[in-house]
Amino acid sequence: MDPTYDRGIAILRTTFLTIVGIFTIFPLVWLIIGSLKTRHDALALPPRLIFTPVFDAYNKILAGGILNAFANSLTIGLTNVALALAIGVPAAYALSRMRGAVQENLSFWVLSIRMAPLFSVILPLYVLFKSLGLLDTRFAVALAHLSLTLPLTVWLLMTYFRGLPTELDDAAMIDGASPLQTLLYVIVPISRPMIASVAVVVFIFSWNEFLLAFFLTSRDAQTVPVVVAGLAGTMSFDWPLIAAVSVCSMLPAFLFVGVAQRHIVAGLASGAIK
Amino acid sequence: MLWRLWFIAPMVVALATVVLFPTVFLFWMSTQHWLVTDPDQFYVGAENFTRLLSAKDFWQSLRVTVAYLVLGTAIMLVIGLGLALSFANTKSGTLLRVMIVMPLIIPPVVAGFTWRFLLNGEIGFIGAFLLPAVGFEANLLADPKGALFSVVIADVWSRTPFMFLILLAALQGIPRDLYEAARVDGAGPVAQFIRITLPMLRGPLIVALLFRIIDAINTFELIYVMTKGGPGRATQVLSIFGWRTAFQELDFGQAASLGVVMLAITLVGALIMFRRFLRPAGQDA
Repeated sequence: MDPTYDRGIAILRTTFLTIVGIFTIFPLVWLIIGSLKTRHDALALPPRLIFTPVFDAYNKILAGGILNAFANSLTIGLTNVALALAIGVPAAYALSRMRGAVQENLSFWVLSIRMAPLFSVILPLYVLFKSLGLLDTRFAVALAHLSLTLPLTVWLLMTYFRGLPTELDDAAMIDGASPLQTLLYVIVPISRPMIASVAVVVFIFSWNEFLLAFFLTSRDAQTVPVVVAGLAGTMSFDWPLIAAVSVCSMLPAFLFVGVAQRHIVAGLASGAIK
Repeated sequence: MLWRLWFIAPMVVALATVVLFPTVFLFWMSTQHWLVTDPDQFYVGAENFTRLLSAKDFWQSLRVTVAYLVLGTAIMLVIGLGLALSFANTKSGTLLRVMIVMPLIIPPVVAGFTWRFLLNGEIGFIGAFLLPAVGFEANLLADPKGALFSVVIADVWSRTPFMFLILLAALQGIPRDLYEAARVDGAGPVAQFIRITLPMLRGPLIVALLFRIIDAINTFELIYVMTKGGPGRATQVLSIFGWRTAFQELDFGQAASLGVVMLAITLVGALIMFRRFLRPAGQDA
């Protein structure tokens, strides 16, 4: 091919990637820098690039009630993962070993739930949990998050289980294993890496989720995103503090970016792409 | 055979509890006069809907939602396609690719705060320093057009990776021999892009667009944190309007009717999609 053309493309590509790279990364860097400033430094104009980093904001998190939000998010996320896997793994396995209209309609139903706007289930859930006295509890939020994470779990695992040869099941059955034993002792052990990835994606979804957590909690069970919004809504902004809470709330993303990257799109678009 | 039912039953029960039952309940709520401040609650038929459809606020929110969706999606498409093309034929740049995907997996509320922190007219690095330095003095978040543009930019920042990853997967799935054959036939790079790449991306693009619609209908926290729907009603999308109706005006019946309308909008979009694209793809799976 024409070498000047190739060169032109290469320059275009580099320029484009540099611009998009700066656009993407700079806000995160600026947030981290902001979390290390004093309130005075954060308000300074022109912005101070050279300053003495302080950990005031992080100390405030460790000292105050904000820590409770992290405990809430962690508990809700882990409870949600446990529920989603306990319910989703058997269902995904059964669906992956079914053919025909029932299977198709059921999977279609599960997938269509992912399409429903969250706002539509929030009011009824609010009324329901209120009448049960479950508002502002971790359990209510963990349960509500299933509406998001259970379809996701089932879809990701169903697609995966379908790829496993049915000879495995047959061999186990011939040896006298029940379907439950086959699932627990044959299918789950060989699927461990995939199940772990799904657990990570489910945890991140639950950890990041705002709308349900916002409507269903008021004080005790508030999750980290809800607290960030709350702090950002007060009149006396403590910019470094909000930045610090935001940075901490990104920890799961930083830790699991590799795993999440591979499955998050399949998760977000569950079923629509392979 | 029966074991399959037992394996599926817990899922059906769970989804019925957190999705199916609430949806049915939503329809019932939407037919009720249901004010939190008023102990009387009774059946009013379609009154909530007629009131909703004649409310200026509803149409304004719908317009904002559509503007937000169209503007954001257009920018995401361009950047996402550019990124996908940049990364499709190379194994290098993994670190950069990972960094570019980061905004997608952090909480959207943080995306909103980060951009508010940058765009703020008094202390923001962009809003109070960069823009004035190039002679642009308006306070973006306090100006109706500027605020809409700001939330769109934050949305682009947080959701472009989704578009990028879908398109990247699609590009990598196009068989190489198609391009070989085209080259043998004398097609140049531009012709190859228009005749092969774009048609092969059609399916994935439509999937991505559908999920954009769902995403825009669900958008809440990004806007809530940046502008709370303001200034005035300039960035009030449907879900923010719904939150105001339910938890500020305390009109649950009216808010429920909005929930039904939002459900209908997504359902129509989803049905069109399924009919045309998902079934054929599902059959070979």
